[in-house]
Amino acid sequence: MSGKGMRLTGTALAGLGLLGMLLVYSLSFFWVSTELSQGVAQRIFYVHVPAAWTTFLAFGIAAFTSGMYLWLRDERLDRAALAAAEGGMIFATIMLTTGPLWGKIAWGTYWTWDPRLTSTLLMWFIFLGYFMVRNSTENPEKGKRFAAVVAIVGALDIPFIHLSVVWFRSLHPDPIVLKPDRPSLPADMLIVLLTSVLSFTMIFLGLFLLRYALETLRAGQQARAREATA
Amino acid sequence: MSAYLGQIGAIAWKDLLLELRTRERVVAMGAFAVLAAVLFNYSIDRTVVRPQDIGAGLIWMTIVFGGLLGVGRTFHLEAEDGALQGVLMSPVPKDAIFLGKTLSNFVLLYIVSLLVVAVFMLFFGMELGTSPPMLALALALGALGFVALGTLFAAVSSGTRMGETLLPILLFPLLIPVIVFGAGATGRLLSGRPVSEVVGNIRMLAAFALMAVAAGSVLFRFVVED
Repeated sequence: MSGKGMRLTGTALAGLGLLGMLLVYSLSFFWVSTELSQGVAQRIFYVHVPAAWTTFLAFGIAAFTSGMYLWLRDERLDRAALAAAEGGMIFATIMLTTGPLWGKIAWGTYWTWDPRLTSTLLMWFIFLGYFMVRNSTENPEKGKRFAAVVAIVGALDIPFIHLSVVWFRSLHPDPIVLKPDRPSLPADMLIVLLTSVLSFTMIFLGLFLLRYALETLRAGQQARAREATA
Repeated sequence: MSAYLGQIGAIAWKDLLLELRTRERVVAMGAFAVLAAVLFNYSIDRTVVRPQDIGAGLIWMTIVFGGLLGVGRTFHLEAEDGALQGVLMSPVPKDAIFLGKTLSNFVLLYIVSLLVVAVFMLFFGMELGTSPPMLALALALGALGFVALGTLFAAVSSGTRMGETLLPILLFPLLIPVIVFGAGATGRLLSGRPVSEVVGNIRMLAAFALMAVAAGSVLFRFVVED
Protein backbone atom coordinates (compact mmCIF):
# COMPACT_ATOMS: atom_id res chain seq x y z
CA MET A 1 0.00 0.00 0.00
CA SER A 2 1.36 3.43 -0.91
CA GLY A 3 1.60 6.18 1.70
CA LYS A 4 -1.37 8.00 0.28
CA GLY A 5 -3.50 4.87 -0.01
CA MET A 6 -2.64 4.06 3.57
CA ARG A 7 -3.70 7.51 4.78
CA LEU A 8 -6.99 7.27 2.86
CA THR A 9 -7.71 3.75 4.13
CA GLY A 10 -6.80 4.82 7.65
CA THR A 11 -9.12 7.84 7.52
CA ALA A 12 -11.93 5.75 6.05
CA LEU A 13 -11.57 3.00 8.65
CA ALA A 14 -11.38 5.44 11.56
CA GLY A 15 -14.38 7.36 10.15
CA LEU A 16 -16.43 4.20 9.74
CA GLY A 17 -15.45 3.13 13.23
CA LEU A 18 -16.58 6.49 14.67
CA LEU A 19 -19.91 6.18 12.83
CA GLY A 20 -20.18 2.68 14.28
CA MET A 21 -19.59 4.15 17.74
CA LEU A 22 -22.52 6.56 17.19
CA LEU A 23 -24.63 3.52 16.40
CA VAL A 24 -23.32 1.69 19.47
CA TYR A 25 -24.10 4.67 21.71
CA SER A 26 -27.64 5.05 20.39
CA LEU A 27 -28.28 1.31 20.59
CA SER A 28 -26.90 1.01 24.08
CA PHE A 29 -28.84 4.03 25.37
CA PHE A 30 -32.18 3.55 23.62
CA TRP A 31 -32.51 0.02 22.33
CA VAL A 32 -30.80 -2.75 24.27
CA SER A 33 -32.57 -4.16 27.31
CA THR A 34 -31.37 -3.21 30.78
CA GLU A 35 -29.52 -5.88 32.69
CA LEU A 36 -31.52 -7.13 35.67
CA SER A 37 -29.07 -7.08 38.56
CA GLN A 38 -26.65 -4.30 37.57
CA GLY A 39 -29.14 -1.89 35.99
CA VAL A 40 -28.07 0.97 33.76
CA ALA A 41 -24.43 0.83 34.84
CA GLN A 42 -24.01 -2.38 32.89
CA ARG A 43 -24.16 -0.38 29.65
CA ILE A 44 -20.55 0.76 30.09
CA PHE A 45 -19.75 -2.88 29.25
CA TYR A 46 -20.29 -2.01 25.54
CA VAL A 47 -17.31 0.35 25.72
CA HIS A 48 -15.20 -1.45 28.30
CA VAL A 49 -15.06 -4.92 26.77
CA PRO A 50 -14.26 -3.77 23.19
CA ALA A 51 -11.52 -1.50 24.58
CA ALA A 52 -10.07 -4.51 26.40
CA TRP A 53 -10.18 -6.62 23.26
CA THR A 54 -8.46 -3.87 21.26
CA THR A 55 -5.75 -3.47 23.91
CA PHE A 56 -4.88 -7.16 23.72
CA LEU A 57 -4.94 -7.04 19.91
CA ALA A 58 -2.58 -4.05 19.96
CA PHE A 59 -0.26 -5.68 22.46
CA GLY A 60 -0.16 -8.84 20.36
CA ILE A 61 0.67 -6.88 17.18
CA ALA A 62 3.32 -4.81 18.98
CA ALA A 63 5.02 -7.89 20.45
CA PHE A 64 4.87 -9.86 17.20
CA THR A 65 6.19 -7.05 14.99
CA SER A 66 8.88 -6.29 17.60
CA GLY A 67 10.10 -9.88 17.41
CA MET A 68 10.07 -9.78 13.62
CA TYR A 69 11.93 -6.47 13.70
CA LEU A 70 14.76 -7.90 15.77
CA TRP A 71 14.98 -10.77 13.31
CA LEU A 72 14.60 -9.01 9.92
CA ARG A 73 15.61 -5.41 10.83
CA ASP A 74 12.99 -3.97 8.50
CA GLU A 75 12.12 -0.40 9.52
CA ARG A 76 8.51 -1.01 8.52
CA LEU A 77 8.11 -3.65 11.23
CA ASP A 78 9.37 -1.21 13.87
CA ARG A 79 6.92 1.45 12.65
CA ALA A 80 4.09 -1.09 12.90
CA ALA A 81 5.15 -1.97 16.47
CA LEU A 82 5.24 1.72 17.45
CA ALA A 83 1.84 2.41 15.86
CA ALA A 84 0.28 -0.61 17.58
CA ALA A 85 1.81 0.25 20.96
CA GLU A 86 0.46 3.82 20.81
CA GLY A 87 -3.00 2.55 19.91
CA GLY A 88 -2.78 -0.02 22.66
CA MET A 89 -1.92 2.59 25.25
CA ILE A 90 -4.97 4.68 24.26
CA PHE A 91 -7.36 1.74 24.49
CA ALA A 92 -5.76 0.49 27.72
CA THR A 93 -6.40 3.96 29.15
CA ILE A 94 -10.04 3.74 28.05
CA MET A 95 -10.35 0.33 29.68
CA LEU A 96 -8.72 1.57 32.89
CA THR A 97 -11.04 4.57 33.15
CA THR A 98 -14.34 2.88 32.26
CA GLY A 99 -13.65 -0.11 34.54
CA PRO A 100 -13.44 1.81 37.84
CA LEU A 101 -16.51 3.92 36.92
CA TRP A 102 -18.51 0.72 36.65
CA GLY A 103 -16.78 -0.88 39.61
CA LYS A 104 -17.81 1.99 41.91
CA ILE A 105 -21.47 1.20 41.21
CA ALA A 106 -21.31 -2.59 40.89
CA TRP A 107 -18.71 -3.43 43.52
CA GLY A 108 -18.90 -0.26 45.60
CA THR A 109 -15.23 0.52 45.06
CA TYR A 110 -13.24 2.11 42.26
CA TRP A 111 -10.33 -0.25 42.46
CA THR A 112 -9.85 -3.81 43.62
CA TRP A 113 -6.79 -5.98 43.21
CA ASP A 114 -8.56 -8.22 40.79
CA PRO A 115 -6.45 -10.23 38.29
CA ARG A 116 -7.81 -8.56 35.19
CA LEU A 117 -7.53 -5.07 36.63
CA THR A 118 -4.00 -5.69 37.79
CA SER A 119 -2.81 -7.25 34.53
CA THR A 120 -4.21 -4.31 32.57
CA LEU A 121 -2.61 -1.75 34.83
CA LEU A 122 0.73 -3.51 34.48
CA MET A 123 0.28 -3.76 30.73
CA TRP A 124 -0.21 0.01 30.68
CA PHE A 125 3.08 0.39 32.54
CA ILE A 126 4.85 -1.98 30.15
CA PHE A 127 3.63 0.23 27.27
CA LEU A 128 4.93 3.24 29.22
CA GLY A 129 8.34 1.58 29.57
CA TYR A 130 8.27 0.84 25.85
CA PHE A 131 7.94 4.55 25.00
CA MET A 132 10.37 5.74 27.68
CA VAL A 133 13.10 3.38 26.47
CA ARG A 134 12.45 4.31 22.88
CA ASN A 135 12.80 8.02 23.50
CA SER A 136 15.79 8.02 25.82
CA THR A 137 18.64 6.79 23.62
CA GLU A 138 21.08 8.97 21.69
CA ASN A 139 20.91 6.64 18.72
CA PRO A 140 17.34 6.03 17.43
CA GLU A 141 18.22 2.58 16.10
CA LYS A 142 19.29 1.51 19.59
CA GLY A 143 16.03 2.82 21.00
CA LYS A 144 14.08 0.69 18.55
CA ARG A 145 15.97 -2.45 19.56
CA PHE A 146 15.56 -1.73 23.28
CA ALA A 147 11.84 -1.05 22.85
CA ALA A 148 11.42 -4.31 20.92
CA VAL A 149 13.09 -6.21 23.79
CA VAL A 150 10.69 -4.55 26.27
CA ALA A 151 7.65 -5.51 24.18
CA ILE A 152 8.76 -9.13 23.81
CA VAL A 153 9.63 -9.66 27.47
CA GLY A 154 6.34 -7.94 28.37
CA ALA A 155 4.37 -10.33 26.19
CA LEU A 156 6.17 -13.34 27.71
CA ASP A 157 5.56 -12.00 31.20
CA ILE A 158 1.85 -11.18 30.87
CA PRO A 159 0.70 -14.83 31.27
CA PHE A 160 2.80 -15.12 34.43
CA ILE A 161 1.44 -11.84 35.77
CA HIS A 162 -2.08 -13.00 35.08
CA LEU A 163 -1.56 -16.43 36.67
CA SER A 164 0.09 -14.92 39.69
CA VAL A 165 -2.63 -12.38 40.34
CA VAL A 166 -5.30 -15.07 39.84
CA TRP A 167 -3.64 -16.67 42.89
CA PHE A 168 -5.41 -13.90 44.76
CA ARG A 169 -9.21 -14.01 44.92
CA SER A 170 -11.02 -12.70 41.83
CA LEU A 171 -13.99 -10.32 41.81
CA HIS A 172 -14.15 -9.56 38.10
CA PRO A 173 -17.12 -10.97 36.15
CA ASP A 174 -16.11 -14.08 34.25
CA PRO A 175 -15.87 -14.08 30.45
CA ILE A 176 -19.32 -14.18 28.99
CA VAL A 177 -18.76 -14.26 25.22
CA LEU A 178 -15.44 -15.99 24.56
CA LYS A 179 -15.94 -19.16 26.54
CA PRO A 180 -16.02 -22.84 25.68
CA ASP A 181 -19.80 -23.23 25.29
CA ARG A 182 -22.18 -20.74 23.68
CA PRO A 183 -22.13 -17.08 24.78
CA SER A 184 -24.56 -16.64 27.68
CA LEU A 185 -25.56 -13.12 26.67
CA PRO A 186 -29.08 -12.22 25.46
CA ALA A 187 -29.21 -11.69 21.68
CA ASP A 188 -29.74 -7.90 21.78
CA MET A 189 -26.84 -7.36 24.15
CA LEU A 190 -24.63 -9.56 22.02
CA ILE A 191 -25.53 -7.52 18.89
CA VAL A 192 -24.56 -4.22 20.57
CA LEU A 193 -21.37 -5.74 21.94
CA LEU A 194 -20.29 -7.15 18.60
CA THR A 195 -21.09 -3.86 16.82
CA SER A 196 -18.94 -2.11 19.37
CA VAL A 197 -16.08 -4.60 19.06
CA LEU A 198 -16.17 -4.11 15.29
CA SER A 199 -16.21 -0.30 15.62
CA PHE A 200 -13.36 -0.27 18.13
CA THR A 201 -11.30 -2.57 15.95
CA MET A 202 -11.90 -0.32 12.91
CA ILE A 203 -10.96 2.80 14.87
CA PHE A 204 -7.81 1.06 16.09
CA LEU A 205 -6.83 -0.16 12.62
CA GLY A 206 -7.56 3.31 11.18
CA LEU A 207 -5.39 5.00 13.81
CA PHE A 208 -2.77 2.31 13.29
CA LEU A 209 -2.55 3.00 9.55
CA LEU A 210 -2.52 6.79 10.02
CA ARG A 211 0.20 6.55 12.65
CA TYR A 212 2.20 4.20 10.46
CA ALA A 213 1.89 6.53 7.44
CA LEU A 214 2.94 9.49 9.60
CA GLU A 215 6.02 7.62 10.79
CA THR A 216 6.89 6.72 7.19
CA LEU A 217 6.63 10.39 6.17
CA ARG A 218 8.79 11.38 9.11
CA ALA A 219 11.46 8.81 8.22
CA GLY A 220 11.46 10.01 4.58
CA GLN A 221 11.76 13.61 5.68
CA GLN A 222 14.67 12.80 7.99
CA ALA A 223 16.43 10.91 5.19
CA ARG A 224 16.03 13.93 2.87
CA ALA A 225 17.32 16.27 5.57
CA ARG A 226 20.40 14.06 6.01
CA GLU A 227 21.01 14.06 2.26
CA ALA A 228 20.71 17.85 2.13
CA THR A 229 23.32 18.34 4.86
CA ALA A 230 25.70 15.75 3.40
CA MET B 1 29.32 -27.85 26.03
CA SER B 2 32.02 -27.85 28.72
CA ALA B 3 33.78 -25.04 26.86
CA TYR B 4 30.53 -23.05 26.95
CA LEU B 5 30.14 -23.66 30.68
CA GLY B 6 33.75 -22.63 31.11
CA GLN B 7 33.05 -19.33 29.35
CA ILE B 8 30.02 -18.67 31.57
CA GLY B 9 32.16 -19.49 34.59
CA ALA B 10 34.96 -17.20 33.44
CA ILE B 11 32.60 -14.23 33.05
CA ALA B 12 30.94 -14.91 36.39
CA TRP B 13 34.28 -15.41 38.16
CA LYS B 14 35.64 -12.16 36.70
CA ASP B 15 32.66 -10.26 38.13
CA LEU B 16 32.81 -11.99 41.48
CA LEU B 17 36.55 -11.40 41.75
CA LEU B 18 35.99 -7.70 41.06
CA GLU B 19 33.31 -7.70 43.73
CA LEU B 20 35.57 -9.57 46.14
CA ARG B 21 38.22 -6.87 45.73
CA THR B 22 36.01 -3.77 45.74
CA ARG B 23 33.11 -5.12 47.84
CA GLU B 24 31.08 -2.18 46.50
CA ARG B 25 27.81 -3.75 45.54
CA VAL B 26 27.48 -6.38 48.24
CA VAL B 27 28.25 -3.85 50.99
CA ALA B 28 25.78 -1.37 49.51
CA MET B 29 23.05 -4.00 49.23
CA GLY B 30 23.78 -5.47 52.66
CA ALA B 31 23.79 -2.07 54.37
CA PHE B 32 20.56 -1.23 52.56
CA ALA B 33 18.94 -4.44 53.83
CA VAL B 34 19.83 -3.83 57.46
CA LEU B 35 18.87 -0.15 57.35
CA ALA B 36 15.57 -0.94 55.61
CA ALA B 37 14.73 -3.38 58.40
CA VAL B 38 15.50 -0.65 60.96
CA LEU B 39 13.22 1.78 59.11
CA PHE B 40 10.46 -0.84 58.88
CA ASN B 41 10.64 -1.31 62.63
CA TYR B 42 9.84 2.37 63.17
CA SER B 43 7.27 2.54 60.38
CA ILE B 44 4.95 -0.06 61.93
CA ASP B 45 3.11 0.24 65.19
CA ARG B 46 3.80 -3.03 66.93
CA THR B 47 0.72 -2.68 69.12
CA VAL B 48 -1.43 -2.74 65.96
CA VAL B 49 0.32 -5.26 63.69
CA ARG B 50 2.62 -8.08 64.56
CA PRO B 51 5.83 -7.98 62.47
CA GLN B 52 5.40 -11.71 61.76
CA ASP B 53 2.17 -10.99 59.88
CA ILE B 54 3.78 -8.69 57.34
CA GLY B 55 7.33 -10.02 57.60
CA ALA B 56 7.26 -12.05 54.36
CA GLY B 57 6.14 -9.06 52.31
CA LEU B 58 8.74 -6.79 53.89
CA ILE B 59 11.47 -9.38 53.29
CA TRP B 60 10.66 -9.51 49.58
CA MET B 61 10.34 -5.76 49.20
CA THR B 62 13.75 -5.37 50.82
CA ILE B 63 15.24 -7.99 48.48
CA VAL B 64 13.74 -6.32 45.41
CA PHE B 65 14.80 -2.77 46.31
CA GLY B 66 18.21 -3.84 47.56
CA GLY B 67 18.68 -6.08 44.55
CA LEU B 68 17.85 -3.20 42.23
CA LEU B 69 20.70 -1.27 43.82
CA GLY B 70 23.23 -3.97 42.94
CA VAL B 71 21.80 -5.26 39.66
CA GLY B 72 21.53 -1.72 38.27
CA ARG B 73 25.29 -1.43 38.51
CA THR B 74 26.03 -4.65 36.62
CA PHE B 75 27.47 -2.82 33.65
CA HIS B 76 28.58 0.31 35.43
CA LEU B 77 32.22 -0.46 36.11
CA GLU B 78 32.75 -1.89 32.65
CA ALA B 79 31.01 0.99 30.90
CA GLU B 80 33.29 3.53 32.56
CA ASP B 81 36.52 2.62 30.81
CA GLY B 82 35.13 0.89 27.76
CA ALA B 83 35.88 -2.57 29.20
CA LEU B 84 32.45 -3.77 28.11
CA GLN B 85 33.55 -3.43 24.48
CA GLY B 86 36.46 -5.73 25.28
CA VAL B 87 34.20 -8.33 26.87
CA LEU B 88 31.79 -8.14 23.94
CA MET B 89 34.60 -8.46 21.39
CA SER B 90 36.08 -11.52 23.09
CA PRO B 91 35.25 -14.81 21.34
CA VAL B 92 32.51 -15.65 23.85
CA PRO B 93 28.91 -15.98 22.64
CA LYS B 94 26.66 -13.16 23.83
CA ASP B 95 24.34 -15.54 25.63
CA ALA B 96 27.30 -16.92 27.62
CA ILE B 97 28.12 -13.36 28.66
CA PHE B 98 24.52 -12.88 29.74
CA LEU B 99 24.46 -16.15 31.67
CA GLY B 100 27.80 -15.36 33.33
CA LYS B 101 26.62 -11.91 34.40
CA THR B 102 23.33 -13.39 35.63
CA LEU B 103 25.21 -16.04 37.61
CA SER B 104 27.44 -13.51 39.34
CA ASN B 105 24.46 -11.25 40.10
CA PHE B 106 22.62 -14.29 41.43
CA VAL B 107 25.42 -15.17 43.83
CA LEU B 108 25.47 -11.60 45.16
CA LEU B 109 21.71 -11.29 45.47
CA TYR B 110 21.36 -14.71 47.09
CA ILE B 111 23.89 -13.77 49.77
CA VAL B 112 21.94 -10.57 50.36
CA SER B 113 18.58 -12.45 50.46
CA LEU B 114 19.85 -14.82 53.14
CA LEU B 115 21.19 -11.80 55.03
CA VAL B 116 17.79 -10.09 54.78
CA VAL B 117 16.05 -13.15 56.24
CA ALA B 118 18.64 -13.39 59.01
CA VAL B 119 18.22 -9.71 59.84
CA PHE B 120 14.44 -10.05 60.05
CA MET B 121 14.79 -13.11 62.30
CA LEU B 122 17.10 -11.17 64.56
CA PHE B 123 15.26 -7.83 64.65
CA PHE B 124 11.68 -9.05 64.74
CA GLY B 125 12.14 -12.33 66.57
CA MET B 126 10.66 -14.35 63.72
CA GLU B 127 11.05 -18.12 63.56
CA LEU B 128 12.51 -19.93 60.53
CA GLY B 129 9.25 -21.81 60.10
CA THR B 130 8.36 -25.20 58.75
CA SER B 131 11.16 -25.98 56.38
CA PRO B 132 14.30 -23.86 56.11
CA PRO B 133 15.48 -25.78 52.99
CA MET B 134 12.21 -24.96 51.18
CA LEU B 135 12.55 -21.33 52.26
CA ALA B 136 16.09 -21.28 50.88
CA LEU B 137 14.81 -22.81 47.62
CA ALA B 138 12.01 -20.23 47.27
CA LEU B 139 14.51 -17.42 47.86
CA ALA B 140 16.92 -18.92 45.32
CA LEU B 141 14.33 -19.32 42.55
CA GLY B 142 12.87 -15.87 43.20
CA ALA B 143 16.33 -14.31 43.16
CA LEU B 144 17.19 -16.14 39.93
CA GLY B 145 14.08 -14.85 38.11
CA PHE B 146 14.78 -11.37 39.43
CA VAL B 147 18.45 -11.21 38.40
CA ALA B 148 17.79 -12.70 34.94
CA LEU B 149 15.31 -9.93 34.04
CA GLY B 150 17.36 -7.45 36.05
CA THR B 151 20.57 -8.16 34.14
CA LEU B 152 18.80 -7.87 30.78
CA PHE B 153 17.16 -4.56 31.67
CA ALA B 154 20.28 -3.24 33.39
CA ALA B 155 21.95 -3.60 29.99
CA VAL B 156 18.99 -1.77 28.40
CA SER B 157 18.84 1.06 30.93
CA SER B 158 22.62 1.61 31.02
CA GLY B 159 22.41 2.26 27.26
CA THR B 160 19.89 5.06 27.71
CA ARG B 161 20.20 8.68 28.82
CA MET B 162 18.02 8.01 31.86
CA GLY B 163 20.31 5.25 33.15
CA GLU B 164 19.35 3.50 36.36
CA THR B 165 16.23 5.64 36.89
CA LEU B 166 14.62 3.69 34.09
CA LEU B 167 15.30 0.29 35.63
CA PRO B 168 12.46 0.13 38.20
CA ILE B 169 9.94 1.35 35.60
CA LEU B 170 10.91 -1.46 33.27
CA LEU B 171 11.42 -4.11 35.93
CA PHE B 172 8.70 -3.69 38.57
CA PRO B 173 5.68 -4.50 36.38
CA LEU B 174 7.41 -7.70 35.27
CA LEU B 175 8.32 -8.77 38.79
CA ILE B 176 4.78 -9.19 40.14
CA PRO B 177 4.94 -13.01 39.77
CA VAL B 178 8.17 -13.16 41.81
CA ILE B 179 6.59 -11.09 44.58
CA VAL B 180 3.28 -12.97 44.59
CA PHE B 181 4.72 -16.48 44.57
CA GLY B 182 7.85 -15.65 46.56
CA ALA B 183 6.15 -13.69 49.33
CA GLY B 184 3.29 -16.22 49.34
CA ALA B 185 5.62 -19.16 49.88
CA THR B 186 7.75 -17.28 52.41
CA GLY B 187 4.73 -16.13 54.42
CA ARG B 188 3.29 -19.62 54.65
CA LEU B 189 6.58 -21.26 55.56
CA LEU B 190 7.36 -18.63 58.21
CA SER B 191 3.95 -19.04 59.83
CA GLY B 192 4.46 -22.79 60.13
CA ARG B 193 2.10 -24.07 57.43
CA PRO B 194 2.92 -27.47 55.84
CA VAL B 195 5.33 -27.69 52.90
CA SER B 196 2.58 -29.12 50.65
CA GLU B 197 0.92 -25.67 50.66
CA VAL B 198 3.87 -23.98 48.96
CA VAL B 199 4.77 -26.57 46.31
CA GLY B 200 2.63 -24.77 43.71
CA ASN B 201 4.31 -21.44 44.48
CA ILE B 202 7.77 -23.01 44.19
CA ARG B 203 6.90 -24.54 40.82
CA MET B 204 5.66 -21.20 39.51
CA LEU B 205 8.82 -19.49 40.75
CA ALA B 206 10.87 -22.11 38.90
CA ALA B 207 8.83 -21.64 35.71
CA PHE B 208 9.24 -17.87 35.93
CA ALA B 209 12.99 -18.17 36.49
CA LEU B 210 13.25 -20.49 33.49
CA MET B 211 11.31 -18.07 31.27
CA ALA B 212 13.41 -15.11 32.46
CA VAL B 213 16.74 -16.88 31.90
CA ALA B 214 15.67 -18.15 28.46
CA ALA B 215 14.29 -14.76 27.34
CA GLY B 216 17.40 -12.99 28.60
CA SER B 217 19.82 -15.34 26.85
CA VAL B 218 18.02 -14.94 23.53
CA LEU B 219 17.40 -11.19 23.72
CA PHE B 220 20.66 -10.01 25.32
CA ARG B 221 22.54 -10.03 21.99
CA PHE B 222 20.07 -7.49 20.55
CA VAL B 223 20.67 -5.15 23.48
CA VAL B 224 24.47 -5.07 23.32
CA GLU B 225 25.08 -5.17 19.57
CA ASP B 226 26.60 -2.03 18.05
